[in-house]
Amino acid sequence: MSTFSFISPTTWRCAPCNGELQPEKVNVSYMGSIFTVELMVCPSCGFVLIPEDLALGKMHAVEQLLEDK
Amino acid sequence: MSIDHQHRILAHTRSVCPVCLKALAAVRRQEGEAVFLIKNCPEHGEFRTCIWRGSIPMPSWQRPKKPSAPLAPVVVTEKGCPFDCGLCSAHGQHTCTALLEITARCNLRCQLCFADAGSGAGQDPGLDRLAVLYDEIMRAGGPCNIQLSGGEPTMRDDLAEIIRLGRSKGFPFIQLNTNGIRLGSDPSYALSLQEAGLASVFLQFDGISDDVHEAIRGRALALIKEQAIVHCGVAGLGVVLVPTIIPGVNTDQIGDIVRYGLRFSPVVRGVHFQPVSYFGRYPSPPRDQDRITLPEIMEQLARQCEGEIRTDHFAPPACEHALCSFHANYLLQPDGSLRALGAGGQACCHPSDAGAPSPTAMEGRDKSVSFTARQWAAPVVCDAPENSAAPEDELDIFLRRAQTHRFSISGMAFQDAWNLDLERLQGCCIHVMSPAGKLIPFCAYNFTSSEGGSLYRMAEAP
Repeated sequence: MSTFSFISPTTWRCAPCNGELQPEKVNVSYMGSIFTVELMVCPSCGFVLIPEDLALGKMHAVEQLLEDK
Repeated sequence: MSIDHQHRILAHTRSVCPVCLKALAAVRRQEGEAVFLIKNCPEHGEFRTCIWRGSIPMPSWQRPKKPSAPLAPVVVTEKGCPFDCGLCSAHGQHTCTALLEITARCNLRCQLCFADAGSGAGQDPGLDRLAVLYDEIMRAGGPCNIQLSGGEPTMRDDLAEIIRLGRSKGFPFIQLNTNGIRLGSDPSYALSLQEAGLASVFLQFDGISDDVHEAIRGRALALIKEQAIVHCGVAGLGVVLVPTIIPGVNTDQIGDIVRYGLRFSPVVRGVHFQPVSYFGRYPSPPRDQDRITLPEIMEQLARQCEGEIRTDHFAPPACEHALCSFHANYLLQPDGSLRALGAGGQACCHPSDAGAPSPTAMEGRDKSVSFTARQWAAPVVCDAPENSAAPEDELDIFLRRAQTHRFSISGMAFQDAWNLDLERLQGCCIHVMSPAGKLIPFCAYNFTSSEGGSLYRMAEAP
């Protein structure tokens, strides 16, 4: 089973390195919880692209669940 | 020169004399691992009550909030706290949950009863009067959460109509505070309440064995409680187990109660512990060994659920006064293990965060209202994504599981005449709608003098 469904070709490039992004497993952590997902990453400097729909969608939903009342 | 940190005053506050209920200056004084509330009545002498005990230091248990006065104060502040409740303009928190006591009748005779139920129960308020009281809650507190209480609310045959009335008045979340006897006895009853708009059942649940129920409630209730949970599950009602914890009676079942609740997840949404308080006639003060404090319950949870629950999972509340409660949220994973959600106390304001502005009490109240409604109702399961063949990542798996199997563990310490701290009372967010139409902080409504006298319960005419 893939760990992430958001890897897809992208026109975004890494600004400092001007390199193409490649899929890579990344640990995202929030309030003590860690999730391993695949994201588009700059192979030289490690810059990670988080697409807007992921940030405002699933990631936001997870953050809300983890946030303290 | 040295300072003895083992014996020091942590704070100055106010309280009342447990005998004459006169307002008094009081201190919270640290003595070793315990903190005492100490006050001195010129007529009745000194009273010392243990209010905090254990390895979690009281000074670390903070969650500052800017007090926020009632939007529509009903009572003018004249005599000072706690004599002007209604609410008065000096109150520091809005209504998160309003309790509506719909009957004084009860089918149990518990020794420990907030409501002194069953004794000389008067006439139940009619639907017309309850409509007025709902309106008054809405006017004073807005669309807060409602808890129907008593007495035992299921003694009323028109309970479904009362629920329907509350929903029609604009209250989105209605919870039933019950001993579960009727829910357990009648398989169709839970569904009739759910169809009327009930979301959640606050189920009195003191232990997993009949000896505990017999000791506290005078009846073997283990089977009927389980039947109540099963019936609620079939009906789509969320259930919160609510144990009253009494030293020497059920402290050894704290972990068992959590494990029992987890067995019935997701129907059981969480466990809400309440340390015993002392209401009614007490010629001599309750002994400190007859009390259990919040940090002691957190420590027992960690000890009795070793490896799953840690004391640093727990955080002080955003809504009520920090010293009134603790809570932690978990994900029950498919393998039966618990995963702590959030960052526990680390997420909250610590003294080191002094530079950050405190949120307002209203912000904390709003968070609590929505969290409670979400967590304590039956889970809402979203439809599967359109493309169900798409692979799931760890975020998807977490989100899907958390929709159903999030489990809350919390505790709230009510105050009696001996440990009453007026700073805590002014931060109270749980308010009883009195028969006369005033919102009274829960502990102000229920505490009694050592002679059994009350400031508000039965003291006002509708």
